[in-house]
Amino acid sequence: MSEPGQPTEKWAKPAMTQTVEFFHSHVRQVVADRLAASGRSWEQAVAEPDLELSREDFEAVERKLLDTGYRYEMSAQISLAENPDKYRPLGRIKDTGTATQDGEGRTIVGTGANVFRVDKDVIGTARLVSTVETVMDMLVNGVPDDTIAIIDDSGGTLTAPILENFAGVVCMGGTVRSHLGILTREYGVPCLMDADLDGLHDGDRVEVEFTKPPADAYADNDPHARARIVKIV
Amino acid sequence: MPTEHSYADLLDLNSWIRKNSDAFYWQCTARTVQESKLFPVNPYIAMSYLNAWYRYPALFRKLERHMSAEELGDRAREVSSVANIITNGILTQFYLGGRQILIDMGMLKPTDALDDVMYVLDFAKRLNLSYHRNHAHTLPSDVNQRAQLLPERTVQVFDADAFTVRPGDRLHTAMGRFLAQISQYAFLSHCECRLGINNSGPYRIGDNAEMLVRDFVDLGEGDFPWLDGVASEVAHNNYTLPVVLKDTHFNIVDDWASFEATPAYDHDNTIAVGLYTSDYLSDGYLPVAMDNPATLADFLEHERDVLHRATSQLWTVMADWRREQLLDAGLLVYYSVAKDLFHIAGVYDQDEWMTIEDRAQRFKPLMNDEYGRDLIAELVGYISLSSQQGNDYVMSKWSGARGDMWSTIPYSVLADDEFTRTVGEPLSGSTSLPPKTSTWTTTQGRLTLPEVNERAKAMNPLTAQTPYRFLDDRWVKDHQGDPRAQELYRGSQAYSRLLAGKGAGLTRADIAALREADEQAHAAQPV
Repeated sequence: MSEPGQPTEKWAKPAMTQTVEFFHSHVRQVVADRLAASGRSWEQAVAEPDLELSREDFEAVERKLLDTGYRYEMSAQISLAENPDKYRPLGRIKDTGTATQDGEGRTIVGTGANVFRVDKDVIGTARLVSTVETVMDMLVNGVPDDTIAIIDDSGGTLTAPILENFAGVVCMGGTVRSHLGILTREYGVPCLMDADLDGLHDGDRVEVEFTKPPADAYADNDPHARARIVKIV
Repeated sequence: MPTEHSYADLLDLNSWIRKNSDAFYWQCTARTVQESKLFPVNPYIAMSYLNAWYRYPALFRKLERHMSAEELGDRAREVSSVANIITNGILTQFYLGGRQILIDMGMLKPTDALDDVMYVLDFAKRLNLSYHRNHAHTLPSDVNQRAQLLPERTVQVFDADAFTVRPGDRLHTAMGRFLAQISQYAFLSHCECRLGINNSGPYRIGDNAEMLVRDFVDLGEGDFPWLDGVASEVAHNNYTLPVVLKDTHFNIVDDWASFEATPAYDHDNTIAVGLYTSDYLSDGYLPVAMDNPATLADFLEHERDVLHRATSQLWTVMADWRREQLLDAGLLVYYSVAKDLFHIAGVYDQDEWMTIEDRAQRFKPLMNDEYGRDLIAELVGYISLSSQQGNDYVMSKWSGARGDMWSTIPYSVLADDEFTRTVGEPLSGSTSLPPKTSTWTTTQGRLTLPEVNERAKAMNPLTAQTPYRFLDDRWVKDHQGDPRAQELYRGSQAYSRLLAGKGAGLTRADIAALREADEQAHAAQPV
């Protein structure tokens, strides 16, 4: 992607990420071109309504990025649903085929940071809960018994009406201080945050080490202290 | 012509800007970038910053024509509302966030809108100094993440009237279930952000216990139009729950009013609880169903069911929204962190707080999920935007980064004329959300907005009156027998079960003795 409006100040550097760098550099270019064409000083021009960038200017900047073939990563489900031509399709849980085994020969399909400690590890059925439709179905028809919800965002709103009915939660993002971590702690629903999963599939029977000590969001936690998720054959 | 602001003014301002940078960095990096499958969270955060940039200066100037920042802080401290630790502290961050985004886009220079920046930052500083007067700091991060906001007279009432609970008893169970449900509802009603939840404290309770004061705000039909109907049964707009935990130290109550405890917060360690409501129309805290443990358990069980139903209904409404509606609702929750200050002064205007200004609206074509996520991550986490970079020798506080989150004002404005003063008056605004149609839920009943503003203007709480406004705990230390101290304490004790009329001379030992006598008197009553 071309970067036409590089900052001219001292100690400048490109942004870390592609979309920020593309959008900001192109907006800078539009501003610089418009200022130069106006013949006015910066102080005369900066708040002049006739020189202000418009919605159409920002639409043009976005169009330039999309015309390169670039497509955005989504966060909210609605973004992809409303604009499938602008976003990349959803990814899946990785399955590298390199998952290791625990002392009992069971496959370890992931680890995570425990939000709070409970007395017993939890055995249940892993169910991927990542869409409004899935939540609506569970809201209307009830959450199946022993559901360990596999959730791919750390927010607390997607699963708001059904969260308390899960036997456990494994979240593939966030930290123990994320909203989902806070809420599961309040409900007493065992939860792992920041889970790294490999080889877990929807419907797998799993045991989750919710008896591990809670992780500290302010400390560099020992990776060996992370709670494990093992598949039960 | 150079600015008329003094060098001392500018030194102080830049120090405050840098302090905000450092404090916000610490908070933001304790979490990852926020996300949600339901709400486009980061795009709405970025949009809220821009709306704040264009609107806050004129709105705060208008506000101070009615009530000073210092008085607003004083009044906010006496009740729980949206004017609280996180909102009062964070409004500068949102405003400076809008400024930094525009600087990085080349649409602003750090010398632009100088008078606006000076004013908004000064307003926020005076507000927070006043709000945090009791512990004599500006932000909880100044005191190693502690927020002892409340004076003795308020904490004494919470301490005295809290009902003793034990794991397994009805009130203990009801409180745990209520706390979980109200937390869930607050996240949803606030569109995934935690601005509906606020904690203060901790406060020492004897040798082995601490009190955390847990607030949940903006829950009923009120400023947020999306709560019309779904929240019609919610009894109170704001709830305050003093909870006392044994064997637990709240080692962090931070600038976002979040807490951490050692060992981790465990409801089984809760030994006493209470429930209150308050708002800009109440003269202090009003107990809710605090006649006895059974009445409180009844209320908590009932209200928990109300909030559960409201959560399901609201989720169903929001799940049907378009992306722009999800974006608008979230950005309005963020942007409107200052709105209850306007309620306190009786000058709240729905159009000013629940619409998006035209100059902010124009940025929406850029606000896809990825840009929003990466912009916020670079802006407040990585400190990696070009406009944030300092010279090659710079090592920033906490991060060690080569730059700082928010740009300071160049001192050159004291010597030359290359600066501008203001973003100007706000333009019109709009929203994709349905307009508000219901009344406002207040401690004085369900009111129309003109009634809300009229009654707020008429409010003159004792604690806001001269000389009581300036009678703080340090003064009480030397004047516990003074009639003014007695009146001040009796005002806070007016609705107290155990302390009504007892005045200013009580110590913690007296409170403990009163609690013990009360428990013995009611020991035979079933809960």
